Amino acid sequence: MLQRCISAEWLKLRHSHIWIILMVLPVFSILIGGANYCFNQSVLTNGWYSLWTQVSLFYGEFFLPVLIAICCAYVCRLEHMNKNWNALMTAPISPWCVFLSKLFIVGVLILTVQIFFLTLYLCAGRLVGLPQQFPAETFGWIFRGWVASVTVSAVQLGLSIRIRSFAVPIGISICAVFIGLGMYVAKVGMLFPYSLLTIGMGVLSQESLTSIEKTLFYMMNIIFIVLVCVISIRHLKKADVIA
Amino acid sequence: MSVISLEFFKLRHKRLFLMVTLLISVEIAWAFISVGMSISRNPGMVGWKDIIMTLASMNSLFLPIIAAVVVSRICDMEHKGNTWKLLLSACVKRSHIYAAKYICACLLLFYAGILQVLASVLFGAANAFEQPLPFSLLMRFLGGTMVTNIVVISLQQWVSLAVKNQSFALCLGMIGAFIGMTADLFPSVVRSLFVWSYYTGLCPVTYSYTGHSTVFAIRTIETSVTAVIVFIGALVYVVGSIRVSRQEI
Repeated sequence: MLQRCISAEWLKLRHSHIWIILMVLPVFSILIGGANYCFNQSVLTNGWYSLWTQVSLFYGEFFLPVLIAICCAYVCRLEHMNKNWNALMTAPISPWCVFLSKLFIVGVLILTVQIFFLTLYLCAGRLVGLPQQFPAETFGWIFRGWVASVTVSAVQLGLSIRIRSFAVPIGISICAVFIGLGMYVAKVGMLFPYSLLTIGMGVLSQESLTSIEKTLFYMMNIIFIVLVCVISIRHLKKADVIA
Repeated sequence: MSVISLEFFKLRHKRLFLMVTLLISVEIAWAFISVGMSISRNPGMVGWKDIIMTLASMNSLFLPIIAAVVVSRICDMEHKGNTWKLLLSACVKRSHIYAAKYICACLLLFYAGILQVLASVLFGAANAFEQPLPFSLLMRFLGGTMVTNIVVISLQQWVSLAVKNQSFALCLGMIGAFIGMTADLFPSVVRSLFVWSYYTGLCPVTYSYTGHSTVFAIRTIETSVTAVIVFIGALVYVVGSIRVSRQEI
């Protein structure tokens, strides 16, 4: 059933041109970050790591959460239109299939964005003439960034299912980003999904996470994903949809 | 006038004022935490100029996204409710609806600007700044922010009404915020090409780095620059209005 729900969700994305939105942000991040790196090479002397700070700072800290919010709002947009929630909830599909299929689709879209961002980072590094070997940590940052993105996606999906407006969940994500930044600075970032993205992508600190920190990071992500999924699916089961 | 009041009537249950207040409160809180930290590091050295410049920098990130969200909500209700035909059958010109929505969005963003100014005054009073309240500086800051807002809103409204899928409009807002935030890194010629860079570009306070410290200074914004920005805003508005009015429903 879940597989068929995922196919249906995939079908809904046809002709949506959402790929344009997904591709634009990494391109902008790399262009601006790369240009800034080129102009300030006298200060930014740590090769690939310095380039990462430039390209990932605004992308990972501010704009990836907004992009996730846009994707989540988009996959719920069709349901909020033309009383489609009624049609969906009366179909013989369990609410958890509805929620998980949407989460899966957003996860795949964000994974594509992360891989595209990694490819652009690699190309930018080669273009600016970075001689050293490509740092293996980057794969870890991209993967952990994606794991945290799935957590943020679960939260945003829960909001987008409840809130009919397309724009409001995106506004909420901006507020959450700043709360997350505050919690990261206060060293309690592991307790907030939006701070997990900062930690996972190594946006503000490129120091490797210790194995305990990594375990805690993955544990917190799993806890948040399970918790948010349970709350959102319960809401879908218990509360009447507003079509 | 009645069309504008009708726009506000349609928004009465959408809690748009509350949303703008919440978003701008986060921005103000973040800016004041930053200025507060500067005060604790350099007591007596921080003043009104620091607050204004910090708010202008934060505006580059927040206001394009707030404008995108506000305009999207105002325009999307017609797409979602499929109300265009209903509106036109009430003998209202599409250009009037376009203008009413534009004014409505501008007023909401003006409200956000007023909140920033009031919060700045309260913050200055709470920290007992030595300098007197720079009323004209605050008004010039508000004016510069609003001039940039009117161009950004005209651009957002065009996209929000022309493309039903609001993710494009919000993506534009996000790109605008990205460019606005990083604009100070660009050479001045490149910077001047992007409208989102004028949140700091039309700010009456500027800064420069001397050694390890940042020095804030008051500057005069040339009238010609403001006039060009207003002209661009008017141009985008007129073209957008004509294009949307001719669009098939």
